[in-house]
Amino acid sequence: MRTDRLYIGLGKTLAVGLVLIWSLLPIVFIVLSSLKPGVEIFAVPPKFFFTPTLEHYVNLWEKWGTFFQGLFNSLVVTVGATLLAVSASAAAGYVCSRYRSRFLTGSIFFLIVVRLIPPIVVTLPLFPAVNWLRLNDTHIVLIVLYATFFVSLGTILMRTFIDQIPRELDEAAQIDGAGRLTILRLVILPLAAPGILAVAVFVVVYAWNEFLFAFIFTATRAKTAPFVISEMIGSIDGVDWGVLFAASTAQLAPVLLFVVFMHRYLVAGLTAGATKG
Amino acid sequence: MSRIDDFRFTRRALLGTALGGAAMLAAPRAFAAGKTLNVLSHKVHQTVLTAGKSGDLLEGWRKANDAEIVWSTFDSNPLQDRLFREASLGETEFNVGFLIDNRPTAQIASLFEPLDDYLAKAPIEDFKDIAPGLVQAMTIQGKLIGIPVRHATQGLFYNEALLEEQGIKAPPTTLEELVEQAKKLTFKSAAGTPVVGMVLASDLAVFPVMFARAFGGDYITKDFKLVPEPEAMEKGLSVMKDMFDAGALPRSYATTSNDDQVTWLQQGRAAFTVLPFARNAQLNNPQQSKFPGRIKAVEFPISSALKGKMPMSAVVESWAMTILKNSRNKDLSWSFLREVSTKRATLGMANSGNGPVRVSTYADPDFAAANPLAAVEAKVLAHARGAFPPFPEAARAQSIFLEEVQLAVLGRKPVKQAVADIRARVQPLLPA
Repeated sequence: MRTDRLYIGLGKTLAVGLVLIWSLLPIVFIVLSSLKPGVEIFAVPPKFFFTPTLEHYVNLWEKWGTFFQGLFNSLVVTVGATLLAVSASAAAGYVCSRYRSRFLTGSIFFLIVVRLIPPIVVTLPLFPAVNWLRLNDTHIVLIVLYATFFVSLGTILMRTFIDQIPRELDEAAQIDGAGRLTILRLVILPLAAPGILAVAVFVVVYAWNEFLFAFIFTATRAKTAPFVISEMIGSIDGVDWGVLFAASTAQLAPVLLFVVFMHRYLVAGLTAGATKG
Repeated sequence: MSRIDDFRFTRRALLGTALGGAAMLAAPRAFAAGKTLNVLSHKVHQTVLTAGKSGDLLEGWRKANDAEIVWSTFDSNPLQDRLFREASLGETEFNVGFLIDNRPTAQIASLFEPLDDYLAKAPIEDFKDIAPGLVQAMTIQGKLIGIPVRHATQGLFYNEALLEEQGIKAPPTTLEELVEQAKKLTFKSAAGTPVVGMVLASDLAVFPVMFARAFGGDYITKDFKLVPEPEAMEKGLSVMKDMFDAGALPRSYATTSNDDQVTWLQQGRAAFTVLPFARNAQLNNPQQSKFPGRIKAVEFPISSALKGKMPMSAVVESWAMTILKNSRNKDLSWSFLREVSTKRATLGMANSGNGPVRVSTYADPDFAAANPLAAVEAKVLAHARGAFPPFPEAARAQSIFLEEVQLAVLGRKPVKQAVADIRARVQPLLPA
């Protein structure tokens, strides 16, 4: 019996260890390579012990100034898309939770359908439209697109969170003379804060890393960091791997830290409503 | 009461701030200069013109024209994709676009301004000095649509240190010698690194085309003859298969990419590869390469049967500058094209690693002295031509070609059968 438990424990540890290696190895490789001298990055046999250097970060700063502009653009777009998606999702989630009608049922179905559409399908027909609206290469186009693609999931998540808030609280506020907007602002949203954070985590991770829309709809002014990294990979005069890994680390670090700090909300978002009923 | 308490976060303020912020983000950037020229290019074009060893080659032009240049840079394929999309719109902000020579079909060429009239009214300095083959590649249905600005001509790179280690005194002068040396150079080096004779990417048509040309064959000629000499293609693929069987091409051949060629040569994991001469600086970069100064290049050798009878025709890819037909301010764009095409700018770009399109640049003594490969590159360029001509189904045709080549090299299909299948499958894709 005791031996069985030991084996099960060992098996679990081994399984977790393997999953960790599988998930973390690429990240560790990127981060370590960004600190290795260029000659040693692809050395055979690989070098695990080396003198760390910041030369690639210096080169990144000197040769790829556009990358830092890209990071700033990513930040603007991520913040904008998150605010827009969270606001719209919270309002829509509230309506879907508290009202019932055929129109709303249809709307929710439509939201799910939107989620199923591959982004590439809408990008190319959108290109002339965005160009006609003079929104090409602006932050706004990315903010709106990223928010649009997440409002569906955000609404469903928020509805699940708001469903768990007793309706009696709405009714009590209503008796005190509060309107719908006041109820949403002062009663529902504070109680649904974990849901808002969960939606925000999803949107931040998506908007920070997204490439396709940025590639199609931006060129210079609103170019995001993943787009600049793609240029480094495709350099026709050769890839400077050290600089590429330094840029990847700089791109990866903020979102990684954000997810580490917010992971419990991410889990809450993923399991919202799982035990309902 | 503190000042913070006086602050009211009203809906009106929130809406106003949001709309104001949105307007600021949407507003186009204002430039100090009077005019703006929007250029769609690869990063490398921007670098050699503005931030290479020769410094900012366009400073004078910008001042003279009171113009600012806004560069939008993309990787090669995305760049072409974006360029064609922008050129297909009713109107575009982009003025100048950089175009690869194997892309302009008749339909694509119609998206760009014919430049013959501009050339007649305000000629480019010594236009005949620009390599005629490159100009020809940008002349579609009799109309010049692009001014060549860069070429990448393929050469045979070798690691001199590894050759010496195996007692080989000189690089090969025939294809047969290359195969023999590559087999000899498949060994474990003194440093303990397993070395393969040659590393080639399997996802580019360049390499099988070079091997076929070494026997006098080709893939698709300029006048759309498909595999004009099947026996030459069979010989070329047989040589590659023979090298693979002997381990002189890596076991991972089917997944080897262009970037692997560079890193394998830099790390001493391969003795030979085929790359554009312009990669010389990167291959010998002491910060990346274990063999700085020891990686050299020669012309890709022709087979012994043809040596001295005909020149080896290496593969070349070139870039040209175009003016988008749906753009504004075309005179400013032409002025830019003229400036970039001057002898001064061509030499300046060449000193920063750009493959020069002018014959006279190779004759410049300072350039020749600073660039050890200048002479051989000029010689190879004289007979070089594209891997295949542009046509609408070129991408699919290349994909089929590479699939059959891989099957043949890996021994999954007899070489003769693979060549026959290339002919049968690609023929329907060629223009009538």
